[in-house]
Amino acid sequence: MSNLLVARSDVGEFRKRYKWMALFATLAFLVVAGRLFQLQVLDGTEYSAVAHENIIRRVVLPTTRGVVRDANGKVLASSRPSYDVEVIPGRVMPSARPVRYRNGQPVARDPDSWPRLADILRLNPEERRTFEARIHAACASDDDKSPCWKTPVLVREDVPRDIVAELKQHTDELGGVDIVGVPMRFYPYKELGAHMLGYVAEIDAQTLARYRPPGYDEMARDEQQRVNPLGYEGGDTVGATGIEHAWESYLRGQRGWEKRVVDARGRYRTGPEAERLVDAPGKLDPIPGRDLRLSVDVELEQAIDKAMRPHAAGAVVAVDVRTGRLLALYSKPSFDPNDLSGGEGRARVREAFNRLYADPLRPMLDKTMSGAFQPGSTMKPFSALAALEDHMVDPEHTEKCEGFVVFGHRVMRCSHVHGPVRLQQAIARSCNVYFWHLAETVGMDRIAKVALAFGLGQKTGLGINPEAPGRIPTRSWYSLRYRGNFRIGFTLNMAIGEGDVTVTPLQLAMAYAALGNGGTLYQPQVVRAVETSDGAVVQEFPPRIRRQVELHPENLKRVTDALFDVVNDPNGTAYSARDPSLDVAGKTGTAQTGYVAKKDDEPKLAWFLTQNHAWFAALAPARAPEVALAVLVEHGGSGPEIAVPVAMQIVREYERLQSIHLGHAPSAKSPPPAKTGKPAGGRP
Amino acid sequence: MRLRSADPGVLARVREHFDWSLFIVVAALAVVGVINLYSATSVARGSHADDYIQQIYWLVGGGILATLVAAIDYRHYERLGYALYGAGVILLLLVFILGREIRGSSRWIYIGSYSFQPSEFMKLFLVIALAKYLHDDPKAEGRTLRDLLAPALITAVPTALVMLQPDLGTGLILVLVFVSICALTNVQTRSVVALGIAGAVLAPVFWSYGLRGYQNERIQAWLNPNENILGYNWDPHQARIAVGNGGWFGQGFMKGSQNQFLFLHEQHSDFPFPVYSEEWGFVGSIALVALYAFLVLWCVRVASSAKDRFGAVLAVGVGSIVFWHAVFNLGMVTGLLPVVGVTLPLFSYGGSSVMTVLIGVGLVMNVSMRRYYASPTRPTPLLGGL
Repeated sequence: MSNLLVARSDVGEFRKRYKWMALFATLAFLVVAGRLFQLQVLDGTEYSAVAHENIIRRVVLPTTRGVVRDANGKVLASSRPSYDVEVIPGRVMPSARPVRYRNGQPVARDPDSWPRLADILRLNPEERRTFEARIHAACASDDDKSPCWKTPVLVREDVPRDIVAELKQHTDELGGVDIVGVPMRFYPYKELGAHMLGYVAEIDAQTLARYRPPGYDEMARDEQQRVNPLGYEGGDTVGATGIEHAWESYLRGQRGWEKRVVDARGRYRTGPEAERLVDAPGKLDPIPGRDLRLSVDVELEQAIDKAMRPHAAGAVVAVDVRTGRLLALYSKPSFDPNDLSGGEGRARVREAFNRLYADPLRPMLDKTMSGAFQPGSTMKPFSALAALEDHMVDPEHTEKCEGFVVFGHRVMRCSHVHGPVRLQQAIARSCNVYFWHLAETVGMDRIAKVALAFGLGQKTGLGINPEAPGRIPTRSWYSLRYRGNFRIGFTLNMAIGEGDVTVTPLQLAMAYAALGNGGTLYQPQVVRAVETSDGAVVQEFPPRIRRQVELHPENLKRVTDALFDVVNDPNGTAYSARDPSLDVAGKTGTAQTGYVAKKDDEPKLAWFLTQNHAWFAALAPARAPEVALAVLVEHGGSGPEIAVPVAMQIVREYERLQSIHLGHAPSAKSPPPAKTGKPAGGRP
Repeated sequence: MRLRSADPGVLARVREHFDWSLFIVVAALAVVGVINLYSATSVARGSHADDYIQQIYWLVGGGILATLVAAIDYRHYERLGYALYGAGVILLLLVFILGREIRGSSRWIYIGSYSFQPSEFMKLFLVIALAKYLHDDPKAEGRTLRDLLAPALITAVPTALVMLQPDLGTGLILVLVFVSICALTNVQTRSVVALGIAGAVLAPVFWSYGLRGYQNERIQAWLNPNENILGYNWDPHQARIAVGNGGWFGQGFMKGSQNQFLFLHEQHSDFPFPVYSEEWGFVGSIALVALYAFLVLWCVRVASSAKDRFGAVLAVGVGSIVFWHAVFNLGMVTGLLPVVGVTLPLFSYGGSSVMTVLIGVGLVMNVSMRRYYASPTRPTPLLGGL
């Protein structure tokens, strides 16, 4: 032993140390206790919230978009279930992720479920490669915010039901595969009325940015509600055009949510133990979108489609003369909104858009209101009214039509040599010479005043698609345009609806409806009522008068008599094409388009585009009009020959439908008794 | 040698000298530990579901061993000190030959269907060896670095072997046990200063070259507690949430959502405390910390009343094992320290760990019970020395 002075049992060396050791140990445990105080008492609430967040997931409860029905309850737009297959890259193909280590040892990864999925979906080798490349790209890194976990990859849209069943059967082997039920908009009548109904599409970035401005996620819930009352999110389906777009806020409905308990592996837990952990409120029921009841009759639309079958392009508007409610809005050529609403995948949508926008007949244009055309002779009743109202013309005065007239050094030709004609005959026979003389006397601005009073050249405010205003030119408009070089020719052209005059078929139909009802210009309406999903009426829209046109009844009668003669006088322009069984009045029009063929035009198309527009604006029945029609056959040629037969066929079908519906569904006359506030009871 | 167990006086003396405080605090920890293990593994299906029953077996077996260890006069261990130490080192070497690799390190030796972890028992053997050395090397004046060389070597050999497994946690504990025992002795001030400087110089070197990749990752994770939460920070992050979720009084037994909904991992081995803390709250946690603190302080107290140097070092050594385990584990699950695989004594599941702690407690009990008599020249067998 090195030190024999000290006994082995002498513990003196240690004696001074014990209290320091005790102090050190006590301090160490006090630090731990202090940390526990911090975590559990000071920050306890915060950590509890995090722990709660860990296990509570807010699951969105989808809403259903409202159904659009026609006047007789036929469904025009509804939603059908559709299933998309999405995969979480990191879970469907764990082998694509970088290897993770735990305690220095690679962590075992689950087997890939991707090959099984690819088999069930019957993906071809090229598709497989494409998706595999995307998954690998997404999983280049696998940290928390990597697309490997956060961004599902859409593999198939609108998967057939038998494959859905197969996928559900093999859920256990298909980790990371989600079958997402998406309500898909469905338009059973396809092209028919497509412009009016519109279509739905995924919300675009700009619109979304308006509803979700930067910093939206940090806003308080009230503020979010204010900025984005309908709760738009990326990837949402919204109405893109037509009624779907204009009535979006009614149709959309409000999403709900439900708090569900999940474990760390993302599995839902149920039972009383789990429910105990859900804090109130645990659920917000979704509000289904409102249904719309239109004034349009889809059977009338079908009849119009049939009548327009021989013609390539055109538009028809039918309006109830007594209410301004639209009975039909028809634009040709049309498109199938099912293609554009993503029914069969995004590729299909792209392909459809490319096809539609390449078509020279402009199928995407709603010609009833977004297209403006020269009205031709359908303008004449308004020129006549301008003359009569201001006593500029004696209606009994005759003008001799020699088939042409010379103004200055220009020769302008009439359609026939009409001989001596009075005002009424000039309308019935559509004598341009008479109206040129009339225009000379009356002047441009008087005619414009009456035309504008009847709503021509102005937006009607229907609001379902962008409206073309059209144009009723005035002297001041010309002086701006031609720097004061006003020519009498402008006035002459205007009186017969040529030159710079343009109107939309909707405007013309509304104006003729006003002629038919004694001068009341209605606001056109297409939605009759808003209903809940169980059929109770929430809101009804009574007819709205835009203005009462001040007219002397005897002047109006002269004009409407002339419209009667157009069809029913043997010299009337529509006489030969009339249907003797029908009681129709109206005015034909053959409008020059002023199209000048360009060099690189396809010859056939160029020929087509130089053809006149064929018009017929009709009222039926002639003596007590119910319906006003504006029929436009684009580049169809002669109004009497082309447009009149179409209108006759439509009127015939209208009468037939009226006689059928009159018995049990007085839809066009008086609305069914309102049931506001009574959700129960169903449909009458 | 005649056994004197028939002597009716012996049992009376055992009863008289029995250290009830030590027994009760350890029994309390064991019972609470098993209850907590039941809750912690209640969510585990399959392999770990019956761990708490196995843990009871280990506790009973460990209790019997501890009783035996306590019965034999500890001065026998003093005589056998280096032999036990040698056996421990050989077992550590055997690990490299017989051990199977589990999750990147070989720590276990398999005997039939049982396995044990020599590195756990090594902690006790190291304490015994150091106690033996200090017992044989009494000094009146301060110890120099040269005097500490031999005990340092005694520590270095098993530490190196454990680090090679690799098992950073146990290696760390071995070093800290050595430091704790040194702290008991009268080391010269300038030696302490020199050691401090050496430590300060060597630490960065160790940091750069001594740590394995995943150990560096863990330290990085600890320094940035809000990053990589799905990776290395998952366990400490979720553990901290569980502890915080306990609040004042806890969520109730078997009602901790962090555990019940599988956010905690390793809750049977390194992370049993968050389970306990979430269920019993601040009040329960402080009670548990108090139990550990009491056990450690009690060991120091036993050491201070030990009748010889060997006994004193033994008690301090066992106390330091418990202390460092408890502080490191609690520190790690509350985010005070990086994650090192250090078990919570009597709370973590594991036969080797439980037995080591209980045998250690048996040693302390041994020292405590034999503190009243003047040291005879020769140790007495079994219940002798009481």
